[in-house]
Amino acid sequence: MSKSNQPRIPETKGVGGDPRERLEDVADPPGKIWFRDLDEAVIEADRCIQCASCVAACPSDSIGIDEAEGRPTLVRMCTGCSRCWDFCPRSGLRYERVLEFAAEERALEEPAIYAAKASDDAAAAGQDGGVVTALLAELVEAGELDGAVVARERDDDPLRGEAFLATSRTELLEAGGSIYNQTMGLGQVDDLLADADLETDDPDLALVGTPCTIQGVTALDRYDNPAADPIALTVALMCTRSFEHGRLVSRLAEFDVDPEAVDGLDVSGGTLYAYDADGGELLAEDVDAFGAAGLRGCDECTDFVGGAADVSAGSVGTADGETTIVVRTETGARAWDAAAAALEATAVERPETLEKLSAWNRRRAESILPREFDPEGEVGITYEQHLEAYDGTDREPEPLNPARVHQYEEWC
Amino acid sequence: MAIGPTNEEARSTVTETPTVVSPAWLETHCETVTVVDVRDRREYEDLGHVPDAVNVPADRFRDPSSVAAGKLPDPDAFADLLGERGIDSGDSLVAVGDENGVLAARFLLTASVYGHEGELYLLDGGLEAWREEHELTTQAPALEPTSYEAELRDDAPIVDRQAVEAAAEGDAVVVDTRTPAEYDQSHIPGAVQLGWEALLDDAGRLKPDDELEDLLTERGISRDERIVLYCNTARRLSHTYVVLRSLGYGDVRFYEGSLTDWLRANSPDWDPIQLYENVREVASNGFEALPRELGEDVFGRLHLIGLYTQRQEGYFMLRTKVPGGILTAEQARAFGEIAEEFATAPEEHGGSEQNPVHGDGFLDVTTRQGLQLHWIRIEDMPEIWDRYDEVGLTTIQASGNTLRNVVACPAAGLGDETIDVRPIAERVADRFEGDRELANLPRKLKVSVAGCHENCGRAEIQDLGFTPAIKGGRDGFAVKVGGGLSDGPRAATDLGIFVEPNQVADLSEAAAKLFIDHGSYLDTAVNRLRFIVAEYGVDAFRDELERYAPFAFEPYDEAFTTDYRGDHVGVHEQDDGTSYVGVNIPTGRIGGDEFAELAALAEEYGSGQLRLTPNQNVVLTGVPDASLEALQDEPLLSTYSPDPGPFSRGIVTCTGREFCKYGVVETKGRGYRWAKGLDEWAEETGLADALETVRVHMSGCSASCAQPQIADVGLRGEVYRDDYESTRAADVGLGGDLENDAFVDWLVGSVPIDGIPSVIERTVRAYEIDREDGESFADWTRRMPDTELRRLVAEGPEPNRPVVGTEVS
Ligand SMILES: Cc1cc2nc3c(=O)[nH]c(=O)nc-3n(C[C@H](O)[C@H](O)[C@H](O)COP(=O)(O)OP(=O)(O)OC[C@H]3O[C@@H](n4cnc5c(N)ncnc54)[C@H](O)[C@@H]3O)c2cc1C
Ligand code: HEM
Ligand code: SF4
Ligand code: SF4
Ligand code: SF4
Repeated sequence: MSKSNQPRIPETKGVGGDPRERLEDVADPPGKIWFRDLDEAVIEADRCIQCASCVAACPSDSIGIDEAEGRPTLVRMCTGCSRCWDFCPRSGLRYERVLEFAAEERALEEPAIYAAKASDDAAAAGQDGGVVTALLAELVEAGELDGAVVARERDDDPLRGEAFLATSRTELLEAGGSIYNQTMGLGQVDDLLADADLETDDPDLALVGTPCTIQGVTALDRYDNPAADPIALTVALMCTRSFEHGRLVSRLAEFDVDPEAVDGLDVSGGTLYAYDADGGELLAEDVDAFGAAGLRGCDECTDFVGGAADVSAGSVGTADGETTIVVRTETGARAWDAAAAALEATAVERPETLEKLSAWNRRRAESILPREFDPEGEVGITYEQHLEAYDGTDREPEPLNPARVHQYEEWC
Repeated sequence: MAIGPTNEEARSTVTETPTVVSPAWLETHCETVTVVDVRDRREYEDLGHVPDAVNVPADRFRDPSSVAAGKLPDPDAFADLLGERGIDSGDSLVAVGDENGVLAARFLLTASVYGHEGELYLLDGGLEAWREEHELTTQAPALEPTSYEAELRDDAPIVDRQAVEAAAEGDAVVVDTRTPAEYDQSHIPGAVQLGWEALLDDAGRLKPDDELEDLLTERGISRDERIVLYCNTARRLSHTYVVLRSLGYGDVRFYEGSLTDWLRANSPDWDPIQLYENVREVASNGFEALPRELGEDVFGRLHLIGLYTQRQEGYFMLRTKVPGGILTAEQARAFGEIAEEFATAPEEHGGSEQNPVHGDGFLDVTTRQGLQLHWIRIEDMPEIWDRYDEVGLTTIQASGNTLRNVVACPAAGLGDETIDVRPIAERVADRFEGDRELANLPRKLKVSVAGCHENCGRAEIQDLGFTPAIKGGRDGFAVKVGGGLSDGPRAATDLGIFVEPNQVADLSEAAAKLFIDHGSYLDTAVNRLRFIVAEYGVDAFRDELERYAPFAFEPYDEAFTTDYRGDHVGVHEQDDGTSYVGVNIPTGRIGGDEFAELAALAEEYGSGQLRLTPNQNVVLTGVPDASLEALQDEPLLSTYSPDPGPFSRGIVTCTGREFCKYGVVETKGRGYRWAKGLDEWAEETGLADALETVRVHMSGCSASCAQPQIADVGLRGEVYRDDYESTRAADVGLGGDLENDAFVDWLVGSVPIDGIPSVIERTVRAYEIDREDGESFADWTRRMPDTELRRLVAEGPEPNRPVVGTEVS
């Protein structure tokens, strides 16, 4: 064997466990990122919040969604371009800086805050005031939007949501209400569009999602990534945590609640409620009892209100049957005005409960986040910086697990 | 059904027989057994588990990437895992999980084949059944590590592909444990369908014995038959295995290879010849009709006949196989005309001006001495194939998971060599062509043959590279195996054996068969011959290969590769007194009409033969001295010159973002413009005379299509982002050198693409100033400290960056 044929001191970033590593005759340049790195640092490390930013960002459509686990997985060759890492709020994307940028570059001088409810049938279809449903339905009917990427419950699996492209009022009403697992809608926009048969090939859609999803799409849009092209309006649902569906259902079963019998869930004022089809309460339990069912990556999220969104919606701080709304951008304000006829809204001066919850959420997240929370820091976080902060914590990268690698078939 | 201990004891002489037990049984035995919970760590820890259960997550003991049989983990890893959990080989284990016990059963099967000595039980109904009556705990059990040992039992009931074939022909009952729908879609011929879930009732418990017996008898599964189970990923069969064994079926075996592989090698859909005929038949119905008429998966299969979908929906890239890169003038002319006529872009994609440098109707010479066209419409394929037939060209197995174009020295048969490898390259290609099994390997297989002493076949980067050697005065070959460039490049290792010229095809076939048997089990991402070589080690690999080869191995006396020749550009003498003329095609792209013209020149001035080179150039052979000057005076040779500038001469690029769906940056036009610009710069600065060639290889992404790892300057497409902008970029590597088995060092990542030419200028100038006498670029980069090179690459003047978000390619 010639000299250089012997393995050099590996400078690879991987953390072990993959036969590929044994063959590295060539070290990558500093900062080189493959899906593999994202997988280890985020997905295997159980920190993925299923926002699907990576799926959307990948220029070669190499990342798909694992049907069983509902998380990103490689479905064809990775070209090592690092886009997925760059836009992942749990690794390469300093999301607090994205929120800063959004505030600097896109926000109104002062956000407008309302306690609102739908003045039509959306009120009944919605989770709280049905405002999100009513807003989107108005815009779709007025031709301002061609559709909205929302969530609906799957037919085959009680309480499990899936991404859905609603293109009419009827479909929006059908999709009203909150889904407590992530649906990765951002990663499915192209597929949803392909199935939808819209008349235009340059559609304007709303994207509804958790704050992390909106961080991702906002960053993609800021760098003109084509994945964000169809998104004309972003709506964030205020959120302290999202759940993993299987674990949520197991947890409900522990409280003797049959998931089939549950028509809706609600998290409000720190309590998780389950209701049956007649609105009867099946369960009211401290939401912390469901901690084990939550996405662990949510602990690192300070963005309860969805600060990157055009419009945010939540229940906190308003009466039952009302939605708390924050209109944050010009785009949001235009949408809000265009839909005024379908909404009953009162402006709120100082939404104290909202601010309190938001501050509490941020303090908690900052105490858990292994890296420094730095709204002024560079938007990109390199792999090395990530390791420096995360290594040695219980959120450090986990070795790639070959058993979990999707067996893909696409090769040159 | 859950049998109690009495039944079990009756059978306890065969210790490895797994048995299904009920929650009640577990409760009474919980003191004497160890419960193994196979769910995720998180579920085990946070949602709770059976008291004292230890956690052995399924994803730790299923390992598709090890070369242990099937999806089994490496035995040592399994032993460590159990040892950490305080399990002893004599312990009685009860496996518990969810998903109706399929992974729990997998655990038992794994423990059983690795020789676990204690009893093995599967909890009927899994965790859910336990929970109906009992509480879970989140309290972690106290673990005392043991030194567990695992070794594959000699009589482990694992069968290979051949055994399944034999079984399918009637020597056993083959049972498909997947769903009826999957079975209907495709199954091993003769297999009976018995979905594993059919053995369970609605609550996920095993059905009563008599019902189970009925199900089994109906399908002809009986205790005196040999039974072979299969599924897709070796999960579901585990459950059926445990149940059958528990019911007292003695001879139950299982096949762990991927059914996909098995079917491919046996299904007419994956037969390249059949596929070719089918496509011919439906081609006139257009692109949209293909999946409808030939199946949703047709686009993947079309690789087998050279067709790839390109970035632009509805069009194909067409690869053409040219073994050894040898073309007759007739073939080259026909091909050039086809390019001109059919490789044309539609108006909406720019039509005749689709490419700013090359216009329309061009072709690409590839790094494997093949040919590639773009913008091919399926409707035109029958006509194209007809014309191919007339001149003896083919696209059968031009790509796909099979032998790729056989690479040979472009000067084969022209002199200065041990063996003329032209017929050998042909023979190897013929051996694989049209053979359904060999057309469907686990992944691609790359073979090169060189008879010269200059390693023109680039043996180091092939799966199998043949280079000249002698044994007892006979000429033949030495063999290198396991090289390759993508996902973890590796230089091939010398097997040390001697192969006669007429054994080259045999050995290639033997390697392919070995690959089928060992590679079928592997994770697709690592599935190349080199991973098998690396896992086994060269000696064990050689022994294994010898089992597949029809001849005994013997060592060679001497191997002859002495130096390494970069390219064949320029005028070189042949043995017969004439010359061959290597003309430079920067980036390998040339107009179809020009290619046809080259063919005419080959006829007019030379022997009427052309050779494609791995540097994407073309060689015209047999030009007599008298014609040399006239040939060189041809206008075409001022464009495609035998005496090009150093950068034009060295540039190699892949297809790039222009057509490739993976490409991050555009490569051909860019490569061409850079080469011309850098040549001018070299001319102006006087470097042109000092430099013969600077080999810049640019891949559009991190795949290795342009072989950036072996270049002086290797580039691969990337993106760059900072707080305010995002632009295309490239990783920069320096110092690839096959002569010294060295690949480039990737020094700096994500250099914005427009800054690359100045990076090249800086580096080349530094080399020119600093180099010692006779020192090659690669040698120089090895002498220079990496930090110095990094500084040179990274710290030039700020390149001009485009404004925010211009997603220019
Ligand atoms: C995971 C999660 C956690 C939340 N936690 C809080 C909280 O702690 N405090 C708080 O004040 N508010 C929380 N909310 C927001 C709240 O539940 C309501 O969604 C919000 O008040 C809007 O109510 P509405 O009646 O106006 O919306 P609706 O009229 O019901 O419209 C909601 C729209 O969002 C879509 N949608 C629902 N769930 C998802 C999802 N997961 N992904 C994408 N689209 C979805 C629906 O399809 C529908 O179109 C949470 C929401 C989610 C999804
Ligand atoms: C659709 C996108 C792709 C295009 C257009 C493309 C094109 C090419 C071409 C033209 C060659 C020259 C070799 C030949 O003639 O056979 C090549 C070689 C190669 N490709 Fe690709 N390719 C693509 C995708 C890939 C992918 C996904 C991989 C990695 C898994 C890859 C890895 C390689 C490697 C390693 C070579 C080797 C060069 C050699 O050994 O000669 N390519 N490719
Ligand atoms: S190709 Fe790029 S974005 Fe896609 S998975 Fe690989 S590194 Fe991530
Ligand atoms: S957190 Fe979002 S971007 Fe990151 S890996 Fe998960 S889905 Fe992808
Ligand atoms: S808590 Fe944050 S990270 Fe988790 S789902 Fe909500 S927005 Fe995303």
